Amino acid sequence: MTKTSRNPAYRRYTRRMIPISLAYVGAVGLASRLIPDNAAANGATVAIALVPGLAALGWIWAMARLLVELDDEYLRMLEVRKFLIATGFALSITSVWGVLELFTTVPALPVFFVWPLWCVGLALGQLVNWRQTGVAGCA
Amino acid sequence: MKNRLKLLRAERAWSQGDLAAHLGISRQSVNAIETGKYDPSLPLAFRIADLFDARIEDIFLRDVEEQGA
Repeated sequence: MTKTSRNPAYRRYTRRMIPISLAYVGAVGLASRLIPDNAAANGATVAIALVPGLAALGWIWAMARLLVELDDEYLRMLEVRKFLIATGFALSITSVWGVLELFTTVPALPVFFVWPLWCVGLALGQLVNWRQTGVAGCA
Repeated sequence: MKNRLKLLRAERAWSQGDLAAHLGISRQSVNAIETGKYDPSLPLAFRIADLFDARIEDIFLRDVEEQGA
């Protein structure tokens, strides 16, 4: 796999993702401690539960900045292709499962899993890039 | 799209890394363009042409099917 991390945009991306990910893990841990299971949705519980969501927004922001700051058009094309594969993968599973939910008694897929599914798609996109070009990208 | 980038680079005894440094792009990009896996944008094609003091059409060659269209 060819290294692409020498591009400053990739270094900045990594520098952003690490603290955001740590903040996410910390916020999820804190929310788990503070909010009891099956707690009612009131001002306090919603406010605490929204904090990890802010960190998730941080991930999306960091990915958007990567595309904006990546000045190498070929590497940017590879990243965009990865994002498209991830989006297609997540939408395929959620939309098909949604129809199954509509017409059958399969268990409901929590919306929470859309993001992890998208990330699995990102790994898939990385694999596709690597197999086709020898360059996997970063995100 | 076929191109003469490898030949032009060899005439100057440049490595892919050297050419990438001259153009301000990654070595992976140079490799992808040289092997025809990626067609550069028009601005990058102009930069490549300027670097070799040539015209874009002297470096990038139209495919036979495109010429016949």
